[in-house]
Amino acid sequence: MLKRLCLLTSAIVMLPLAAVSAQERQPITNATCDELAARYDKLPFTDILPLEAGPVLVDGEEKSITVGFSQTGFNHPWRVSMLESLQAEACRHPNVELIVLDGNVDVAKQNNDVRDLIARGVDAVIMSPVESAALVPASRAVMSEGLPLVVLDRDVPTDKTLFIGQSNVTMAEGVAEKMAEDLGGKGKIVVITGLQGSSPAVDRNQGMLNVLADYPDIEVLVTGDGQWIREPSVPLMEDWLTAYPEIDAVFSHAEESSWGAQLAIARANRCKDGIKHYTFDGSNAGFKAVKAGTFGADGNYTPFIGDIGLRAVLYELTGKEIPDAEDYAQPGKNLALPDSPVVTAANADEWIGRGWGDFEPTPDPCL
Amino acid sequence: MRAVGAGRLGGLIALIVLIVIASFLSDRFLTVPNLLNVLRQVSIVGILALGMTFVILTAGIDLSIGSVLGLSVVLYAGLLESFGLPAAITLGMVAGAGAGLVNGIGVAYAGIPAFIMTLGMLSFARGLAFIYTGGTPVPILDETFYNFGNGYVLGVPIPALVLIATLLASAFVLGMTPFGRSVYGIGSNEEAARMSGVPVRQYKALVYVISGTLAALAGVVYASQLGIGTPIAGQGYELDAIAAVVVGGTSLFGGRGSVWGTFIGTLIIGVLANTLNLNGVDPFVQQLVKGALIVVAVFGMSRASRS
Repeated sequence: MLKRLCLLTSAIVMLPLAAVSAQERQPITNATCDELAARYDKLPFTDILPLEAGPVLVDGEEKSITVGFSQTGFNHPWRVSMLESLQAEACRHPNVELIVLDGNVDVAKQNNDVRDLIARGVDAVIMSPVESAALVPASRAVMSEGLPLVVLDRDVPTDKTLFIGQSNVTMAEGVAEKMAEDLGGKGKIVVITGLQGSSPAVDRNQGMLNVLADYPDIEVLVTGDGQWIREPSVPLMEDWLTAYPEIDAVFSHAEESSWGAQLAIARANRCKDGIKHYTFDGSNAGFKAVKAGTFGADGNYTPFIGDIGLRAVLYELTGKEIPDAEDYAQPGKNLALPDSPVVTAANADEWIGRGWGDFEPTPDPCL
Repeated sequence: MRAVGAGRLGGLIALIVLIVIASFLSDRFLTVPNLLNVLRQVSIVGILALGMTFVILTAGIDLSIGSVLGLSVVLYAGLLESFGLPAAITLGMVAGAGAGLVNGIGVAYAGIPAFIMTLGMLSFARGLAFIYTGGTPVPILDETFYNFGNGYVLGVPIPALVLIATLLASAFVLGMTPFGRSVYGIGSNEEAARMSGVPVRQYKALVYVISGTLAALAGVVYASQLGIGTPIAGQGYELDAIAAVVVGGTSLFGGRGSVWGTFIGTLIIGVLANTLNLNGVDPFVQQLVKGALIVVAVFGMSRASRS
């Protein structure tokens, strides 16, 4: 019995692995280099640290370059999309190989992952940390080996080659400004945060508060934890609709949570209230929902910065200077990215197709 | 049996006290739409908790149900387009039952401790869900399915009806069948059950199949309501289900408890969450109150059943 069970399990485990080698699909994104090349042209930042396709020569030699990528975790499509942009860049250079590790949203695991990458003899490390301060030991280990370290999205307060990221605070300010403008500076809103205590949720909330300080007539009725996803925001919104007869807007830190809130609004027969959604994530589905009028604004927090990270590493390894890398408040250098514009009805058309994810938006139950 | 009665009564009293307090705190609590909302809100964890009750009655535990729900949800979403709704649901349910069967074989036949076996399945099933979707949520654009999750029959939300049907079926199986009575026997004294001719291994495996199948059924409610198959669906729900079971008076050591108690436990937790939301309580404080309630409720009931 046990033996049979073991055979069965190993068959289940081996199947996907066999499929990977046969079609040369990239890990996790499951896309081929051809598919990734098609998406490369739509990436928003390919003009930052531009690099031609083809082998990368180090000291005039074409030797194989191995780059380790330690990701926070692959539990959210945003994180997978970041990898997609990284793989798309790697596919353009035949002598560049990636080792991708999944941190499982666990600081201890990610610290170990980075040390494993060093042990496996990578030429450089790209890391998108679970949490800033907790990844300092791993970062120090990379730097003390003399390897380039590029940090994406969330910074680490220690020395590094380059940090590349956008600001959640200023992006949230943009979204909140649009909301305040739409409301005419007056109204009652409810707030659905991302996972409470996570740094993007803290920053997005801060950005909103910065703006609301200028609008005393916009009242925050209540705040709840949507955990970035759809399910928890449904009961929250349901209960708030019961408790508050008048709600003008939902300020939510994630598109998924906005969809959950919209579902609750439809079920409560409150579509006629015309409650507006202000949200974040920057997916194509979100942009389409902006165009359709469901979302008033979508904070355009692009995950497509992995390719810049890899190009920065390749610049570093080939001794090319990184233009615009500047000193900043933290140790190391910073490559400031231009703030992606908040996507509203005015510019949605221009952005559809340049966000992440190729799935359709959830049909708006109120339309 | 006296202990079971006291525990159940204790739970019912706690629920009534909570409802009275809730109606004082918000005049909108005791309205029909709000109460129906609560029933719908608890339906997913409620169905999971009913399955968990079977397992806990045998002194086992099933930590994998949140992940099995996640796996079934992505299967419904992914298979819907190419196979149609009935086949997609059947295959997803089979996957849930299959995960439960693997758990059951591991626990009952291979002798792997339930905690370890189902902890392994927690990770394995979640991994499969991620591999299947590539980490990206799969939208579900099926009108029939959406109407199932969001519709009403005689004014009652369908998910609430699914919960109540599952409750009645579970109560029937546990109370009226030889298998159900043996579940209690296995939980109180496995050796004695074996001596009296109960097919212990088979029945122990079966409770995990039930819990896996009900996890997939909860997945139907999840996917049809939300219109999305996300690989992270149900993360941590196993703990909410365990909380509902123990608040409902079922002993973690097995042999004592009932699905009625679990249903009341589910309602207690659901009403509490609803009340906190209605009154705009800070989410950090909500977690604290929920934690305190679980401990206080179980302590109170263990005192009630002793006296």
